[in-house]
Amino acid sequence: MSDTAVAPTTESPAVAIKKVRKKRPIGFYIAASWIGLVLFLGLFGWILPTPKWDASFFDSLGVGPFSKGHILGTTQDGYDEFAGLVNGARISIFVSFIAVTVGGGIGSFIGITSAYFRGTYDKIVVTFFNILLSIPNLVLSLALLSVLAYSDENHPSSTNRRVVVLIISLIVVIIPILGRIGRGATLQWSSREFVLASKSMGTKDFMIIRKHVLPNVAPALLAIGFLAIGSVIIVEGSLAILGIGVPGGASWGSMLANGRGNLEFSPWEVYCPALCIAFTVISCNWFGDYVRTALDQREAKI
Amino acid sequence: METLLMLLRRLFGMALVVVIATFLLSCLMWLLPGDPALLLAPGTPAGALQAIRHQVGLDRGVFGYYWKWLTDMLHGDFGQYYLNGGTRSVTEVIKRTLPVSMQLIVYAQVVALTFSIPLGLLTAYKEGSRFDRWTSSVLFTLVSFPAFALALIMSLIFAVKLGWVDPIGYVKPSEDLFKHLKLMILPVASLAVGLTSSYTRLLRNDVIATLKEDYVTMAASKGISNKRVLWKHVFRPSSTTLLTSAALNMGGLIGGTIIVETIFVIPGIGYEIFYSIGARQIIAMQTLIALVSFAYVFFNTTVDLITNITDPRTRERRV
Amino acid sequence: MSPLLKLEDLNVSFATPRGDLRAVKNVNIELNQGESLGVVGESGSGKTVLSRATMGLLPSTATRTGKILYKGEDISQLPRDEVRQLWGTGMAMIFQDPMTALNPVRRIGTQLTESLTVRLGMNKKDAREKAIELMKRVRIPDPEGMLRKFPYQLSGGMRQRIMIAIAVSCSPEMLFADEPTTALDVTVQAQVLELLTELRKEFNMGMILVTHDLGVVAGHTDKIAVMYAGDVVEYAPTRQLFNNMKMPYTEALLKSIPRLETPTGTRLPVIEGRLPDPTKNEPGCSFANRCPYATDKCRTETPPLTDGGNQHFYRCWFPIGGGK
Repeated sequence: MSDTAVAPTTESPAVAIKKVRKKRPIGFYIAASWIGLVLFLGLFGWILPTPKWDASFFDSLGVGPFSKGHILGTTQDGYDEFAGLVNGARISIFVSFIAVTVGGGIGSFIGITSAYFRGTYDKIVVTFFNILLSIPNLVLSLALLSVLAYSDENHPSSTNRRVVVLIISLIVVIIPILGRIGRGATLQWSSREFVLASKSMGTKDFMIIRKHVLPNVAPALLAIGFLAIGSVIIVEGSLAILGIGVPGGASWGSMLANGRGNLEFSPWEVYCPALCIAFTVISCNWFGDYVRTALDQREAKI
Repeated sequence: METLLMLLRRLFGMALVVVIATFLLSCLMWLLPGDPALLLAPGTPAGALQAIRHQVGLDRGVFGYYWKWLTDMLHGDFGQYYLNGGTRSVTEVIKRTLPVSMQLIVYAQVVALTFSIPLGLLTAYKEGSRFDRWTSSVLFTLVSFPAFALALIMSLIFAVKLGWVDPIGYVKPSEDLFKHLKLMILPVASLAVGLTSSYTRLLRNDVIATLKEDYVTMAASKGISNKRVLWKHVFRPSSTTLLTSAALNMGGLIGGTIIVETIFVIPGIGYEIFYSIGARQIIAMQTLIALVSFAYVFFNTTVDLITNITDPRTRERRV
Repeated sequence: MSPLLKLEDLNVSFATPRGDLRAVKNVNIELNQGESLGVVGESGSGKTVLSRATMGLLPSTATRTGKILYKGEDISQLPRDEVRQLWGTGMAMIFQDPMTALNPVRRIGTQLTESLTVRLGMNKKDAREKAIELMKRVRIPDPEGMLRKFPYQLSGGMRQRIMIAIAVSCSPEMLFADEPTTALDVTVQAQVLELLTELRKEFNMGMILVTHDLGVVAGHTDKIAVMYAGDVVEYAPTRQLFNNMKMPYTEALLKSIPRLETPTGTRLPVIEGRLPDPTKNEPGCSFANRCPYATDKCRTETPPLTDGGNQHFYRCWFPIGGGK
């Protein structure tokens, strides 16, 4: 009966009933639509009749939003803002998808196996994660980028190389985040009866992981994966502001970085990409949170 | 005795993490194309280069180099910047920049805690009410709002459009306190907004759990006011996660300051890390990153130990 | 003189996703100063909710109707701030589990003196002395040292006595003891009950003793209310109830208590079946599907609370030993 013991609140019963019969929050739909929009622009944006994103229009430098031919205006260098955003969506999806799937895949594999097998391997993995987590995200990728994508007059480094290194450094950021989640969740599940039962029947370890551990751990990883996409976009944006993001002003972060100097003259160069980044990150978080809540309810039902 | 042993074990683990992290950084430096000494001090004549190589330990291989750096660190020699033929002591730079970053971080933490503690208690107490739902949604949106986007948008609105504050710059508090605070508003706000949201959410969750505890009903049944129940009986047992996360952020925030200090041109340690990485000042960079990760690990461990001591529940679990 | 506590048609229901859950239905109870009432029933019968509802300590999902007359005054409609004035000084509660009902991060001293300083306005020194005196009263060894201890450093029985000391610290007139012995070792149960009875007599308090154990209430109450599925199914003075049991449910409860004289290895009779779904409101006696004596009448018509004389009330069509 002690579960009925709640400190008195001033809340009315009607509100409480509403809370009990919770629907999907509006934020979920907003987040889903925004992610849908970004996906659409990123994947099929090229069919839209926009000007070329990398062409400079010398007859209209820094025109404001809603002007003829340039729906969101142009930058001080004459690049079309909207076309840039569409292209940026493509880059963002590409970079964050690769970073999160690869980093998440590696991280979860390490995390799950370490929690499952324990022992020295587990101790090494935990220390490894702690090391990576003890260096702030941004510092870690900064260091990696500045070394691996090093370039000067004698050692020019190609744009492709920089993008690849950027993705690698983001992967390194993701690995411990998802690894820790995977490890934590596996620790919880791998001591459950059905796993022990399966073990006692002589099932191979990787079979148990695939059949029993993975299906239970996957939802948690998925939820955090969405949050990780948000982090990746933020780190990429931060790196761009520091001048070492995706080269050539192609990503949202780079657009933002380029537009920073023109804050007084053409603020849309800043707020368009800034809001795009913010909305995408927020949507990913809403989505991840929704997945986690749904997961909690499923847990509660069990 | 047992506590002492645990303390020693934790300290050892802490040192290990920092040592491995910085060693990996050293290895990374070794991967750089070309002569590390030349990268460190470009344009140095060949004769002087040999001296630098010896001074830094680059002539001893990766292990020798790392060992020299580590022992120098432990002896209080934090190394040098090699710039335009001259040198600058890293210690000097840290002395100059660390206080600035600490101001930024401490202000942000204080602001965040000041807002989040009452908000967290109140939203949890009124869980499910209109107030709670609105506050929680807004905070959830803000928690993921990137600090740099916030910084730029705020600077656009308050500095460029409205002209209330200067968009960039830093003044020491000892020079002009009022101007110092005024210049700190935007940078602190861009750091504090995210912190406030995350702290409020942490506290709210814990308070909701605590409110279901029997001892809260028991306290209420003494006939004391709701306010007293919340502050005296609910807050303390619910604050562990909040305090842990606040302390962890002390280390993590130094990373966060890089971006804010760059945008607002504040001469802090974050900016210095960015600068030394950009200029490939491997020694300075290694030292600064070691400092940051040490801070992170240090706060992490300290908080663990303190909660162990102050929260009798964890003591009980250990016994 | 009006009784200390009188419940008139008290109803409590909870809003749940499956509909309203009626936890307490039309309860009428009366208690005089210095008297002790046992509320008995299995878990889920609504006995804890009844005591919490009377005090006003219900979660926000609960709705309460009916009258609660405390010294003749209806307190059920009072604003919370005025009800709170009664808590601690007028009505106090002892909780089931002393492990969870004492704040783990606050010292025994602060928890014990809180009511004294906040509610009675004592200064720290007086409150400390009073606390020591209270602890001596509940026979806590080394009360001075105890002030600085944390709950986890105490045994279960000790914690329960601390909780009793907290509850009686402001000399309430009405004490609710919610399963005060359930979480305790059998050996300390008896002394805690003895202590409660002693204190009740000393302070002339009214006491409601909530328990699932008929054995517990036998020696420590003046009246007993047996609850089943939110209903009071039998209500009588203790002696009368034990001598002249009317409800099959009460009988079943009594049979399920282990006794010293039963030979080892004997199976204890259990009450088969489960409580009816509290969100459904079906006709008939709520105990019918578990009752050995149930007939078709029991399953279709709800029995009223019948006055059997000698202040003995029961809710049964076919009471044991016949009707009046």
